[in-house]
Amino acid sequence: MTLLALENVSKAYGRGSDRRPVLCDVSLQLDGGELLAIWGIRHSGRSTLLRIAAGLERPDSGDVRLEGESLVGHGADAVSSRIGYCRRSFGPGDTGTVLDRIVESQLVRGALHEEVSIRARRALLRVGAEQCASLRPSQLDGTETMRVAIARAIASEPRLLVVDDPTLGVDPLRRDEILLLLRSLADEGIAVLTNTDRATGLAGADRALALGDGELRGEVHPTLAPVVQLRRPA
Amino acid sequence: MGARRAEGILESRGTQARQPARMQSAVQCALLGLVIERPSYGYELARRFEHTYGELLHLSAPSYIYTALDALRRRELIEEVPGVSAQRLPKPHYQATEKGRAAYRDHLLAQMLTSQRRRHLFFRELAVLAHEPEAALEIIEIYEQEYLKAAKVAPLRHGGPPDTPASFAAELAAEDRRLGIDGTLAWLDHARRRLKILAEHSNAAQSEPR
Repeated sequence: MTLLALENVSKAYGRGSDRRPVLCDVSLQLDGGELLAIWGIRHSGRSTLLRIAAGLERPDSGDVRLEGESLVGHGADAVSSRIGYCRRSFGPGDTGTVLDRIVESQLVRGALHEEVSIRARRALLRVGAEQCASLRPSQLDGTETMRVAIARAIASEPRLLVVDDPTLGVDPLRRDEILLLLRSLADEGIAVLTNTDRATGLAGADRALALGDGELRGEVHPTLAPVVQLRRPA
Repeated sequence: MGARRAEGILESRGTQARQPARMQSAVQCALLGLVIERPSYGYELARRFEHTYGELLHLSAPSYIYTALDALRRRELIEEVPGVSAQRLPKPHYQATEKGRAAYRDHLLAQMLTSQRRRHLFFRELAVLAHEPEAALEIIEIYEQEYLKAAKVAPLRHGGPPDTPASFAAELAAEDRRLGIDGTLAWLDHARRRLKILAEHSNAAQSEPR
């Protein structure tokens, strides 16, 4: 069964003559255990697509379904525990440790007090960031920040993990470590949806789609591609 | 290094008295590189050739290595020096001459320019389809899918030090390819936008009353 489905999703920003379409009739499906990466240049709508897929933003038209349940009709709260949206920012201030921040995020989601610390530590261990538990967020480098952000997103054991530009701010020599981590999470059964403006961010994906001018271009198998017609019929 | 700078180097080199004819044989060029990397004897060079270039360069026969070494020697790009071995009859070693080193540098620069020329040729051939933008858009579409496919199957590596020079070479090649795909995907996006504008103009012109 399809885990996530976007059906004819459209979104525009601005008003009147400034109204600019960002997503035009976008449809995609994602299965459990699948890693789908969206490639697009800046301002292509790739971040909007991910926020809509995570239920953080409503489309102007179309529907988003998680395990058949519409996120548009019921809001993201109903399915929030099943979606992990990866945020790099830890919010204002630099108080508390990484572990505290992950615990807080779990409590906000309604997790039981006695469970959250164990879940948070388990998530940090899973992403290879256990050594960051007692650090403050400001003490993390780019790669650690990404690992911790993924830990926070998977602490609630979501079915879908959404990561906006996972290699942004990551040391190029350690970029593949993050992609390997995402690949391994998908291999464990989590559906992973990411985006990137670099081809280097597509490695390890099961599918890579391109987004441009608000349109999503699916994979085409060249053998099945239409014959290129160089002349219009008279 | 930019193409212009590379051309400048080649031109300035061309004005000098010494200007060896450019090597045409890919096997000879690769072999010359191996001799420059480490002077050695025929059999060892043949083994290194297979290890380094086995997937990329096909030898008509294993003995072609010796033919190629002889050709390089006759062109004074490599020279034979006596081997040193106390145990047995020392094998003659090959080492690169200054002329050989210069020829190898020229070969690398020429490789880069050839690649650029091929791309420019493709751009011109695609631009010929400007009056048929929809046909060009279909080509762009297929081209893009191929690049996306190549990007997603790129091997992933841990950030640690490479195990061997061969794995380091493989890593450098993979990174070069991935960074190249980066640029191409962005270029494809640009080309698509331009072609869409051309298609809109073309459609508008056709729908205008005559």
